[in-house]
Amino acid sequence: MTLSPCPHEKEIAALLTRGQWPHAAPAELRAHVGVCRPCTELALVTSAFQVSRTTAAAAAPLVSPGVLWGRAQLRRRNAAIERVTRPILGAQIFAFSVCIAVAIGFAGSHAGQGLDWITSLSQLFPPHSLDVTRLWPTSLTGSGSVLWVLVPLLGTLALLGGAAVYIGSSEER
Amino acid sequence: MPLESILPSLFAGEAFRAAALPAELPPEALMGNDAFAGFYSRSARPLWAYLARVSADPALADDLMQESFVRFLCAARPDDGEVAARRYLFRIATNLLRDYWRRPRHASIEEIPEEFFADVSSSAQSDSRVLLGPALAQLILRDRQLLWLAYAEGYSHHEIAEVTGLASASIRLLLFRARRRIAALLRDQNPQGWPSS
Repeated sequence: MTLSPCPHEKEIAALLTRGQWPHAAPAELRAHVGVCRPCTELALVTSAFQVSRTTAAAAAPLVSPGVLWGRAQLRRRNAAIERVTRPILGAQIFAFSVCIAVAIGFAGSHAGQGLDWITSLSQLFPPHSLDVTRLWPTSLTGSGSVLWVLVPLLGTLALLGGAAVYIGSSEER
Repeated sequence: MPLESILPSLFAGEAFRAAALPAELPPEALMGNDAFAGFYSRSARPLWAYLARVSADPALADDLMQESFVRFLCAARPDDGEVAARRYLFRIATNLLRDYWRRPRHASIEEIPEEFFADVSSSAQSDSRVLLGPALAQLILRDRQLLWLAYAEGYSHHEIAEVTGLASASIRLLLFRARRRIAALLRDQNPQGWPSS
């Protein structure tokens, strides 16, 4: 395959672009196209594409430019609002994370008292009627092991809360 | 809850009006409504023709053309004349078309354009589509784009490289091969020759 162009290609291309092919072309150029493969292909392909372009452009269904202009304005405005609200959303997530961390710390520090309260509550009722600890696995009923239940529970709550905030903010947008 | 009610002072004041335009976009980079209407009237038909013929889907061409113009209006671009603006518009459309092609999709029979089933031979206006369409359909998207930009739009190799994002040096070879292939397909379809423009 050779890529060397025919010296007449530019001349023929110019005539084709101006719509003057083949009427305004010199006879020797028309004769050349008959024998030169690259020039034949150029004339064939360019004619086909230009005819296709003309018919397709005439059939183009166009909307009003005002509609597109308005849509672009709206999109720019939405992009600007998003830029403004992004730091606010970040602050919300940060504040929520701090709240969750404080809640976990508080729950951890008061877990022992909570266990005492549950135990004292169970003493008000007959034995084994409200013994919550009986519901737990035996490996978790030791002192301080209630943290192993509370921490994952609060972690799950934090995750669900984060997901809810994320979904809520996505819908607002 | 609307954000305006949460932050009334911010949205009512100068801060919001200034923020309504992208920060990286100076006001002079935005095309005015009247200027856009003129540009649209000169560019929309060629762009639609490009998208419709290369994609072979007029409905898709409608959507992509509108999206191209909206993105064009939202984009930050240097104001260096209408020719460059049109090239930029074709670049956006080319990228949108390529993205659409790469996206996985499940076509159902309802999604196929109506004219695909129509008797196109009865319409004189669709002659070029009947002749060029099947030949184009046998080429890959990149070759269709290259051929259209070169032979329908008359873009130079350098301009095609700018529009398609391909290396300028490779355009010549790719175009040469694509032209040879479509010429053979057109000759096979229409041995009597193509009507001159």
